[in-house]
Amino acid sequence: MSEVTTPPQIAGPGHVEASGRDLNWWRVVGRYGAILVLLSIIVVFTVLEPSTFATKDNAINILNQSALVAIVAMGLTFPLVAGEFDLSVGYQASFGGVLAAGLIQKSGFPIPAAIGTVLVVTGLVGLITGLIVTRIGVNALIATLGVGTIVLGVNYAYTGGLPVQIDDPEGFIKLTFNSLFGIPYPVYVMLILAALLWVVLNRTSFGQSVQAVGGNAEAARLSGIRVDRVRVLTFMIAASCAGLTGVLLASRTGSGAVDGGDSYLLSAFAATFFGSAVLRDGQFHIVGTLIGVVTVAVGFNAMAILGLDTYYQYLFQGTLLIFAVGVGTVARRQAAARA
Amino acid sequence: MTPPVRTEEGGGHFGGRPPGALLSVRGLSKHYGGIQALDGVSLEIHAGQVHALVGANGAGKSTLVRILAGVETADEGEVSLGGRRVSISAPQDATKLGLSFIHQELNLVPKFTVLQNMALNYEGSRRLGLVDWRPVAARAGDVLAQLGADFPLDREVADLSVSQRWTVSLGRSLMRDARMVAMDEPTASFAADEAERLFAIVRDLAARGVAVLYISHRLDEVLDLSQDITVLRNGQLADRHRASDVDRQTLTRSIVGREVAEIERHEGSPDTVRDALMRIEGLVREPSVRGVTLDVRRGEILGIAGLVGAGRTELARLVFGAERAASGTMTLDGRRFEPKGPHEAIARGVALVPEERRSQGLLLKESLAFNVSLASSGQNRWRRGLPFLSAGKARAVAREMVERFAIKAHSVEADVESLSGGNQQKVVVSKYLRCQPRLLILDEPTVGVDVGARAELYEIIRARADAGTSVVMISSDFEEFAICDRVAVMREGRIETVVDGPHATKDTLTSLCYGTGAAGS
Repeated sequence: MSEVTTPPQIAGPGHVEASGRDLNWWRVVGRYGAILVLLSIIVVFTVLEPSTFATKDNAINILNQSALVAIVAMGLTFPLVAGEFDLSVGYQASFGGVLAAGLIQKSGFPIPAAIGTVLVVTGLVGLITGLIVTRIGVNALIATLGVGTIVLGVNYAYTGGLPVQIDDPEGFIKLTFNSLFGIPYPVYVMLILAALLWVVLNRTSFGQSVQAVGGNAEAARLSGIRVDRVRVLTFMIAASCAGLTGVLLASRTGSGAVDGGDSYLLSAFAATFFGSAVLRDGQFHIVGTLIGVVTVAVGFNAMAILGLDTYYQYLFQGTLLIFAVGVGTVARRQAAARA
Repeated sequence: MTPPVRTEEGGGHFGGRPPGALLSVRGLSKHYGGIQALDGVSLEIHAGQVHALVGANGAGKSTLVRILAGVETADEGEVSLGGRRVSISAPQDATKLGLSFIHQELNLVPKFTVLQNMALNYEGSRRLGLVDWRPVAARAGDVLAQLGADFPLDREVADLSVSQRWTVSLGRSLMRDARMVAMDEPTASFAADEAERLFAIVRDLAARGVAVLYISHRLDEVLDLSQDITVLRNGQLADRHRASDVDRQTLTRSIVGREVAEIERHEGSPDTVRDALMRIEGLVREPSVRGVTLDVRRGEILGIAGLVGAGRTELARLVFGAERAASGTMTLDGRRFEPKGPHEAIARGVALVPEERRSQGLLLKESLAFNVSLASSGQNRWRRGLPFLSAGKARAVAREMVERFAIKAHSVEADVESLSGGNQQKVVVSKYLRCQPRLLILDEPTVGVDVGARAELYEIIRARADAGTSVVMISSDFEEFAICDRVAVMREGRIETVVDGPHATKDTLTSLCYGTGAAGS
């Protein structure tokens, strides 16, 4: 009411100026808020714990901790960008680990052949998921939940529920244990894959198609994009990435556990959604996903250094996710309202 | 309360009408960022009158309506209803005041029946918090009968035609005793017969004392239907006209702010028999397409006229591979043409600029550059033989299109959502032209496009045809067919006849659409 009764001559210019300022400010919060969270954790702990947190070894440690989640999460980014969900990535990761260990231990596969087989088999599972979604038209949430549960069943059938121990794990464990220039292999795998997937998503026709399908599937189809094929491929990418993480997990533990990778599902979703609030206006993207994974890992690491109980990690991860996505959402709304 | 302000043209307006406006708007302003969308606009809408609001895209019509509807809040200015100052800060406020809005996107629930949709938020009959359906149904039935509706209350809205849905939307407003109804481009997707029905409804509404705010780009119907015309230009009040005192030319001039030529009629060359690029024979997809046989010649602009439901859009979608035909054959350049999807059609050089710009043509949240390259991203390869795209090439192509087609955007990185309707349409057209089509089909290319951009689109189309591309243009605005070499009239799923350009006048085509005209050529 007061706004209406204010003399218009005064209200007008005042408004203009205020929204000009707010606009920029909200934009900054929306796009860079999540990064500011990451930076502030780093700054605070660098000041508090300079001797334990702010060291090169700890930085490498954090990246090494991030690698496996990051690979699942970056793969998951593809179906999300295309507007689909994939709830099977955790089970697929477990499956990848069990299968890799089993192929090496039970079938005597050489390590490279075992890895290749895992990538192909998980890729095929992704293909099946994709066909169920696109051909039969089952909602992706349900289809991936169903396929994931079947994969879990296969894990049990293949192993009898027991971890697959590798008798001579030396060579396999080296995959994740060895370092080059002081940096463990998984970090390289993560970074190379990040670069590769970024290029695929942003600098290939396929990647443009993935974005178009997620933005407006009908417009994409009428632009000559083969929407179903693109969707299927995104499920295959997510599945193979999960499989790769499974392999690295099995290497790290020297065995393939039936449910070893299940927890990656929630971590990967948390990271991708956190990442959607980074730099972009709520769109999923590779760099965001990577920053999401690293932010959570930095937080976990900091809490471990403080000696906090494990439950704090979950409180932190949940709060962080809601806070980052919530702030991003509010900021976008404000920026749009003032635009 | 309302001071008896008389505007310069206002003096003559008050004769023979009730004193005092129903709705009066004074000095309304609104800016978005640095853009002044509305700048001190005033207008008065009288009960029982049709007040037309016209202006090019971006002139501020939508902003004005959104403020009245409570979707936006004005920076300054006031709104009075029946002489009393009112504050509309939310859509519910507008509804309570008896202001009703029928937007282009009719806010109906497709899965609900007509009755359920009309009863949404209807407070009329609640007993102990439950809806008592009988009085609601009776009221809805009355309202629809008044509107001359020909469909039952228990029909699902998803099964209704566009104009029937519009009737439901209007009915919903009338359920709540609307004192003013604002209609945004109601006839945009209607054909002639349906538009006539709508006009009758609007006149009847006014006769019963309701004020109608009528927003349209179609000047003929504005002149025909309204008493007062307010013209907005660049967010400001450009002119006020009495409908009886202006003609089309004057109105166009005041919308554009300069002289525009009427559509230049293309003198076709019917003697030059150009061979057919595409031959369609006996194409069928029930229920809309029931055996179409048609040739499209090289380098011609072929119009397709017809009433809504005649099957024009469906035919275009069949040719483009967006739907599959049940039977019939198509050949392109003498070779069989049976696209399994739009990707195959585009690969063979057939492109369709779809009917629904926003939902079928664009990725609104993506940049202009992204949209322009969407159908041809393969051409943006960084180097031949490598699968990688160059972002620089995408921007360069977009800049070239922006320049060539005079697309108004502050940058090629701008979201297409921020562009006006006409500029958005140019983006869609550029997207498909980039595929270098040999056959370009345009489905209602100028709906929601302002007069200036319209003329530019015609030029683009003409230039393309002169360069050898065959163009097929579907339109419900028959005056547009002036740019065509030939016009095919489609009726009830078949091609009724094909008329040569010079004979394709609005009247001839209209009567042919009804199947009553004499053969044109």
